[in-house]
This record gives sequence, structure tokens and C-alpha cells, in this order.
Amino acid sequence: MAQFLQQMVNGLSIGSVYALMAVGYSLVYSIMNFSNFAHGGVIMFGAYFGFFAMTQLKLPFPAAFAVAFVGTAVLAVVIERIAYKPLRERNAPFLYFIISAMGASIFLENIIIATIGPTFRTYPDVFGRTSISLGSVAIGRLDLIMFVISAVCLAGLVLFIEKTKIGRAIQASAYNMKAAALMGVNTDRVVMIVFALGGMLAGIAGVFFGMKYTVYPQIGNITTKSFVAAVFGGLGSLPGAVLGSVLLGIIETLVAGYLSSQFRDLIAFVILIGVLVFRPTGIMGKTTEDKA
Amino acid sequence: MLNVENLHVAYGGIRALKGVSLRVEEGEIVTIIGANGAGKSTLLNAISGFLKPAAGTMSFKGKPLGRRPDIIVRDGICHVPEGRLVFANLSVENNLAMGAYLRNDKKAVAADLERVYSLFPRLAERSKQSAGTLSGGEQQMLAMGRALMTDGDLVLMDEPSLGLAPLLVQTVFEIIGEIHKLGKTILLVEQNAFRALSVADRAYVLEQGRIVKEGKASDVAADPAVRDSYLGAESKAGG
Repeated sequence: MAQFLQQMVNGLSIGSVYALMAVGYSLVYSIMNFSNFAHGGVIMFGAYFGFFAMTQLKLPFPAAFAVAFVGTAVLAVVIERIAYKPLRERNAPFLYFIISAMGASIFLENIIIATIGPTFRTYPDVFGRTSISLGSVAIGRLDLIMFVISAVCLAGLVLFIEKTKIGRAIQASAYNMKAAALMGVNTDRVVMIVFALGGMLAGIAGVFFGMKYTVYPQIGNITTKSFVAAVFGGLGSLPGAVLGSVLLGIIETLVAGYLSSQFRDLIAFVILIGVLVFRPTGIMGKTTEDKA
Repeated sequence: MLNVENLHVAYGGIRALKGVSLRVEEGEIVTIIGANGAGKSTLLNAISGFLKPAAGTMSFKGKPLGRRPDIIVRDGICHVPEGRLVFANLSVENNLAMGAYLRNDKKAVAADLERVYSLFPRLAERSKQSAGTLSGGEQQMLAMGRALMTDGDLVLMDEPSLGLAPLLVQTVFEIIGEIHKLGKTILLVEQNAFRALSVADRAYVLEQGRIVKEGKASDVAADPAVRDSYLGAESKAGG
């Protein structure tokens, strides 16, 4: 039982960071109906921004954290302007968006390899390696902080989307861009805000992954997990993305704990295939068409 | 109020509008009738800023029309789109709130909401319900109410009676009259030519991207060629 609880706690922690990435996917998908595969590159940049802000600029962790998520918010918006906006203006088919996203993703990864190299880098130890005991369960400090910050960010995002005027404009645009424009919504700005939000959360996730593992140019590949989580929960649905992520995080840690950690990555793709075959809308998704 | 001069619009390799000129004066109901594919919706989408004209000019209240849909809404043109496009994921109330997206005067917005609810009591009853659960007729009312909430002076309506039961078609045209009485100018695109001509002051007949006839609605309705092409089927169907 104690081991089970321990795995649940670890699963929640990693699942909450998956959720940060998955909502970024889902937000963009809900507005533009394509999966933004450049998201992984943005996460990777977040990890590097945070790393260099701490090691080169010698910033304390909170400041480095802010540098990372502001940097990735800007980066995500710039990617949108360069890689997607011209396609939007031509009403291009969604396949073009995916190709453009893959191009952006390859570019981001290689610009890092070409400039600062492919080496693995380790974040300075900020929170210490000791863990906090809660009865029989031990929580790593980093895991706890990851969970708390992720939960706060996700709650903030939900409040923003549900309670603000711009949030309502995002929901309206997600349902139908044209109708939103007919209400006077500047849909171009909505797209920009959505990318900024997704980029911000990606930066936060990037820093956490960098701290939990290491920083390297392919760290963005971890987004395949959040993509699986987003599909699992239902692409385009924010609650779905969070639920899918947390479930995936828990399932993965349970599999790693009780079976073997080598099965951990396998299970994510088993889930992906299972969902696509048996329930393509995911747990709470909006549509089954064009989910690519 | 609205002036369109020699408008050409092409998309997907098709020249959908080939030199359309029309005007709408303040306080009028003007209708554009024409067959499917004549370019009626294209014309409204060009006025609303969704399609870029290849040539031609458009002006509203004496000034050139804005270049983006949201700017055109701000200038006072609202558009009830074909297929209604209500936000099915939002409540009726929030759909109407979206209509007032650009407005900051809370008092005037509240007064307009009151007005929309008295015009469409059904919407008041269902204000908390998600718009996706409404019937087709109710969604049409919501789309109209939502457009009224933008407080535009010119209302573009694209096929408001499409897909509605005959009894509801009647209601929709009565509502168009009510909206007109609120002081709105209306540009109405309809396949139901018979009904449209009976509420309108003036009419244009659009055929294959060109205006082929224009005049007082009653004169257009009396025109033998128009009767043959657009009203024949209608009278056979019993109107």
C-alpha cells in the first residue's frame, strides 16, 4: 500500500508537468485544428533559457524561471508569425500546418545543436535532494514544487479562459473563428494570445524537465508523451488534456514501479493506439476528424 | 449608408462576383435574391471583410470600409451568417455577451440585452442553456439576437430562413420586420424570394456574379422574368 501511494504521488507530479505541455497542444488544436509539433522545440528552449539564466546570468531560480517562460511565450508567438500566419492567411489545408510545424521543430532542435552543441547539461541543484516525508510516503522537493506550480498555472489558465472577456473570445474562436470575428473579435490576436499562453506553459514544463532530468537538444521529444495525453483526454479539450496527463503520469509510474521501467514508454503508445482505435474522441474530446 | 462599386471577388480560381454595384440607404430593407451559387453569400462575406476584393470599392457612412472583419463590426455592420454559427459550446447568455464584445457601456448593453430578450422570449427562458441544445429556429433567433447585441446600424442577413419549418419561416420574417422597427437598416440575402420581396423596400437580382435587375421590391416582384425564375417554384410550393 505504501508503495502504491508513493507511485501515485510520483505519478501526479510527473502527470502535472505533462498537463502543462498537453494544454498547450490542446489550446492550439482547439483554435487551429492542427497539432503543433513545434511545441517540443519550445519546451526545449524553455529548458535552455532557464539553464543559461541560472548558470551564465547567475540569476536566482525565480528570476531564471521567469526568463524561461517569458522567453518561450515570445518564441511561440514568433514561430506562429513565421510558420503559421502566412498559411492562415491563405486558408491553407491543415496538412500544410503540420509540415510547417515539423519544419519549425527540426529547425529549433538543430539551431541548438549547431550553436551550443549536443551535450547534456545538468541544472544547478536548487531544491536539494532530500525529500519530505508524509507518513509512509516521501515526496521529493522538486516533485512537490513541480506539482504545486503546475497546478497553480493550470488553475490560472482555467480561470483566465472561463472568467475573462478574452478567455470567452478564445472559447468562441475555438468553436468558430468566423463567428467570433463577426462579434468583433480580432481573431489574429486571439491566435497570438493562445500561442503566448501555450508557450509560457511550455517554458515552465521545460525548466521542470531540465531540472528533473537533464538539458539536451532532444528533450522536446518528451512532448510525444503530452501529445498522447492530449489525445487520451480528448484533443481540443482543456479538462481532457489535464485528466489525460495525470492519468498517463500515474499509469506510467505504476508500470515502472510494478512491472519494469522499460515498459514505461511502451505503455504511452499502447494507450495512444488503444484510444485511436476504440475511442478516437478521447475521454472528453470534441471531434474525431483530422486528428493528426 | 453602404455603397458598393464595381466589386470583383475571386476565390479558388472562380470569379464569384464580376462587377457588382449596389447601395443601401439608411432605414431601408434591401434584399438580394438569386439562385444558389449566384454569389449572394460571397457578396456579404466581402462586405464583412472575410474575402478580399480583386477590384472595386466599398464605403460605409461615407468612409471606405475597414479591412478586417472586427474593424467592420466596430464601424457598425453586423452579420447574421448563413448556417447561424452560434457558439454551441457557450450558453445562450454568453453567446449574447459575445455580441457585445466590443462594447464597454454596461448600461446600454444591459438595455439591449433586455430588448433582445423581449424580442425573443424563448432566449430569455433558455439563457443558461448551452446554445448547442437549441432547435434550429431558436438558434436562428440567437444568431439574430447576438448580431443585435453588437449594436450595428446595418444588419446583413444571410439566408435566415434556410432549413426552417414553414411556420418558423413566417416568424423569422416577422422578426426581420421587428428589427427594422428598432431602427436598423437591413441587407437581406434570401433564396425565399417571395418572402424577401414582400418585406423589402428595394431589391437586386444577382445572377452568376452580376446584378441583372434592380428596383423597388414590388416592381421586381411583378417582373415576369423574375416571377418565372424565382417566384414560380415558390407559388407552386404554396409560399
